[in-house]
Amino acid sequence: MKALRNLLLLTVFMLVGVAIAFYFRPQPVEQRIALGEQLGGDFTLQAENGPLRLEDYRGKVVLFFIGYASCPDICPTALAVASQGLKRLSQTEQQEVAGIFMSVDPKRDSPEKLAKYAGFFHPNFTGGTADRETIDKVVKQYGAFYRMVDLDGSAMGYAVDHSSRLYVINKEGKLAKALAHATNPDALAAEIRNLL
Amino acid sequence: MIKSMLQRSFLLATLSAAPFAMAEVSVENGYARAVPPGQMNSASFMIINNSDASDIQLVSGSSSVAKVVELHTHTNENGVMKMRQVETITVPAEGSVALQPGGYHIMLIGLKTDLAEGGEIDLKLNFSDESSKLLTLPVKKVMGGMQGHHHKHH
Repeated sequence: MKALRNLLLLTVFMLVGVAIAFYFRPQPVEQRIALGEQLGGDFTLQAENGPLRLEDYRGKVVLFFIGYASCPDICPTALAVASQGLKRLSQTEQQEVAGIFMSVDPKRDSPEKLAKYAGFFHPNFTGGTADRETIDKVVKQYGAFYRMVDLDGSAMGYAVDHSSRLYVINKEGKLAKALAHATNPDALAAEIRNLL
Repeated sequence: MIKSMLQRSFLLATLSAAPFAMAEVSVENGYARAVPPGQMNSASFMIINNSDASDIQLVSGSSSVAKVVELHTHTNENGVMKMRQVETITVPAEGSVALQPGGYHIMLIGLKTDLAEGGEIDLKLNFSDESSKLLTLPVKKVMGGMQGHHHKHH
């Protein structure tokens, strides 16, 4: 009888455990936004000409990407798509849009390098980075992910695994959309225009 | 007259010395990615065809524009992009492999010169049958989206 009770208790604990794990499971950003969770928010990075504050961008639509400049492919493709999307808009419209590239790799990416890097894709794009604590906070705020990975035997030394969404932030500084990697420029242009 | 004869015999000698087995691998649509000035790394993409009846591996590369050339790939796991070095890239028998944004690429690490659009790079590819290919590739700005999949032949 006692054994049966213990078994029952154990089962209840297990079920509670499963329920808790289910509740806290990592969810895709899209789903979290759809469920009404407020992701995004203000941040301050170190840029070439001093602090880069998202709050200084009120009144502009901001395209925000998290990556690293020695990224050979994903980051430049994302920024190229962002730039292409932006160029679909008229000159006047483009003036109301800015791009911010945040590097999670401050060891290799100085603010000067990031300014040059981001500006290469579009004159309205700029880049910044921060100390590890701030980086981690912003990454969490936006439901993003990154991890440094040693590349044994590679001259790269290490790479950064990272989520690859392009965040579209509206004129009020609120996260409006998180777009999957390499969204086509037309779709992006339409998203931006919606927010202008 | 003597000079041209000499030239001709030299040409013949070179031609006959060339191994016959070189023709199976061909490369098309190759290019290197234009990068912002001062960037340390870039990547090169292409389609490699293999008309031979057996698989062949791309094992290494070199270029005068980069300190090191490596073979890398990307995988997309639930939106998290992971870049990893690979030892070889297999070009399947009577098939091809696409090196393209978001997948396999040839990493140019430690650029010695800026790769600006309109320029050219040299790239030597070495294969598992000890053949190699010397390519001259244009430097292009990559603007397209990635295809999201690539040939997997491992």
